[in-house]
Amino acid sequence: MISRREMIAATAAALAVPWQRVGSARFLTPAEYALLDELTELIIPADAQSPGARAAAVAGYIDARLTESLEPDWQGRWRAGLQGVDALSQELTGTPFLGATPDQRRAVLTRMAAGESDPKTPLEHFFKELKWWTVFGYYTSKIGIHDDQQYKGNVYQTGEFAGFDAQ
Amino acid sequence: MPVVKVAPPLDQDVDLSRTYDAVVVGSGAAGGMAAHVLTSQGMQVLMLEAGKKLPIEQELRSMEWPYDHPRRGGHAPGAHALSFNEYTIRQPPYAKAAAFRHVYSYVGGWSGGDYVKNILVDERDHPYTGTRYAWVRARALGGKTNIWGRLALRLSDYDFKAKSHDGYGDDWPISYADLAPFYDKVDLYLGISGVKENLPHLPDSLFQRPTKLNVAEVKLRRSLATMGRVLTPYRAGVTTDGVKHNKYRSKCFGRGACGRRPGGCDIHAAFDSPTGLIYPAMDTGKLTLRTNSIAYEVLVDPNTGRARGVAFVDSQNRRSYEAKAKVVVLAASTLESARLLLLSKSRQYPNGIGNSSGHVGHNFCEHVMGPGATGLVKELVGQPHTLDDGRPGGFYIPRFRNLQARQQEGGFIRGYGFEGGSGHSIFPAGVDAPGFGAGFKKTVRDHAGAFISMGGFGEVLPRYENAVDLDPEVKDRWGIPVLRFHYQFGDNERKMCEDMAATAREMFESAGIEVVGVDSTILTEGWSIHELGTARMGSDRRTSVLNQFQQSHDVRNLFVVDGSSHVSASCQNPTWTIMALAWRSCEYLADEFRKGAL
Repeated sequence: MISRREMIAATAAALAVPWQRVGSARFLTPAEYALLDELTELIIPADAQSPGARAAAVAGYIDARLTESLEPDWQGRWRAGLQGVDALSQELTGTPFLGATPDQRRAVLTRMAAGESDPKTPLEHFFKELKWWTVFGYYTSKIGIHDDQQYKGNVYQTGEFAGFDAQ
Repeated sequence: MPVVKVAPPLDQDVDLSRTYDAVVVGSGAAGGMAAHVLTSQGMQVLMLEAGKKLPIEQELRSMEWPYDHPRRGGHAPGAHALSFNEYTIRQPPYAKAAAFRHVYSYVGGWSGGDYVKNILVDERDHPYTGTRYAWVRARALGGKTNIWGRLALRLSDYDFKAKSHDGYGDDWPISYADLAPFYDKVDLYLGISGVKENLPHLPDSLFQRPTKLNVAEVKLRRSLATMGRVLTPYRAGVTTDGVKHNKYRSKCFGRGACGRRPGGCDIHAAFDSPTGLIYPAMDTGKLTLRTNSIAYEVLVDPNTGRARGVAFVDSQNRRSYEAKAKVVVLAASTLESARLLLLSKSRQYPNGIGNSSGHVGHNFCEHVMGPGATGLVKELVGQPHTLDDGRPGGFYIPRFRNLQARQQEGGFIRGYGFEGGSGHSIFPAGVDAPGFGAGFKKTVRDHAGAFISMGGFGEVLPRYENAVDLDPEVKDRWGIPVLRFHYQFGDNERKMCEDMAATAREMFESAGIEVVGVDSTILTEGWSIHELGTARMGSDRRTSVLNQFQQSHDVRNLFVVDGSSHVSASCQNPTWTIMALAWRSCEYLADEFRKGAL
């Protein structure tokens, strides 16, 4: 079992290497990819416990699913959604999302998230999709499962089962 | 790890020129049990399974981490699992309007659907019509036992004598005393885990060591005890101590894989029909297996009116064959066995074989589910993460409604139980917390193990008008007429579901658990995968299809040993009862066979 310290060290090493794009036939353009990568990290950032969505390569996971998808409508919604993020940023801050300051970026995302419980605009719907895929990608990653959640299961219990007797 | 890895026995050559003592159609819980009992009684058995024999360990890969799967367990592009929404807004056949190459039932949409894509049928090849119904089918050696939910419960005389208890429907032609010895045999042969509770309405099994509860579940158990209700660890059809007489199965090591996926156990600690029943039966030298064999007619001797075998189509070469046998045993599942009886029309049996009563396909019943609650145990928020999901299931709350004769608490008859669980899992609960950023991340982490949830499984009353018949036009990929559903929940089920949601809330609140969600949505008919009752047993041949030994009233060498024989659904999960009944009936069958009475 890898220790938490080793895990963080390994993750830090991974961070030093830019995300390796496999082949060139990815769905997202480099600019779209960079935007998605930043959005996922804003949704699940690194903190004292664990690295965030960027280190967990969540954008790469989403891009891989988009690339192999046979559903043009779904691909189109992602492309339009990412464009919508830049458009909203332009409107609120006068600059595309990645040109904005960290506070401005959070403000844009906060606006998108405002309708989370009852999304109405396309961008509010896109936030829900973006968040779900980020959450799924992160909490099914090595970092999400082992480092953040400190998941104890999926092991052979050779002695007593963990837990309490029914008494 | 001391895990058993014994290869399946080699298949015997199938000899279709010979007349077997018995042909068994289907290889799930019922068919596997028929093969086990009949071969151990010395009979030569041919088993026909519609699906493939899969390298099941390679399919299930129980310990594979999500990140080691290219789509984190999800389907490949072009494959799709039906959602609740699709079952709700569309009518069968559900695959018709779907723009996907492969369409699976909703089970394929659970975490890890890619692991069961070869076990579930492709809805494109296997349509059905009529009213809405989420029909989950597995076509593979072992059928649905490859992925079943493992909750292994007994019925009691509250169920077998339900009409005597509340006046509705019909009593079964057997009582608990008739079946108890066979439940014992199933327990000992296959292994079952649980805790004795001494409840008259949920008899105890001969349990191996139980799985454990976690903090929230212990809290709820203690609170329920003060209300006269019981929360007991999941009674799992899993061998926790091992079964020494079976070389194909390992004992349970609490890996928890069965809860992370749509089910399945690649070390076979959870019962499945191939390793639990069929492989040992093959080792007797008396069982011959033919997979890829889709039965479409029970053949009749025109002179005697007795069954003489089964006609089937080979799914690989699409040719038709006949399997000849002295006794025909159907175990194709509640709905497929009914379909097969209805398909078997002849001069003697113009309405389908064994159907002089006109009851084949009728009295169709199951369990209704959906309503339940989710609670938050505040003292667990922010606690260190513990190993909570290394077990085949969480907890079960047995029926507590209408246990007094003629009682109608809640304005309905019969009752329901709850299945539930709590604690940490590989994918955290509570990711639907609002917002984003560091606060969201911490909220998910702190709350991950603090939720407890449960959902009800209620008895759907058998009603003659709830039925299946053959669609006059639509056929499956092999040209076989498909089933048409005429089936809907009624007022009793709706009232019961309202009560489920209310009592779930009440029980959490009484335990000091904060209720964070109550679900009152009733899931689509069929969702429980507990369909029962389309060829019911009874002592009156005018209103039932089978006698108490699951033997056709009309054709004495025809038996139907699966869930279609059940007279009512009870609210307990049916698999253990299916196997106990099949054991009892097949001992009777073998006795009668020896006497020359079939």
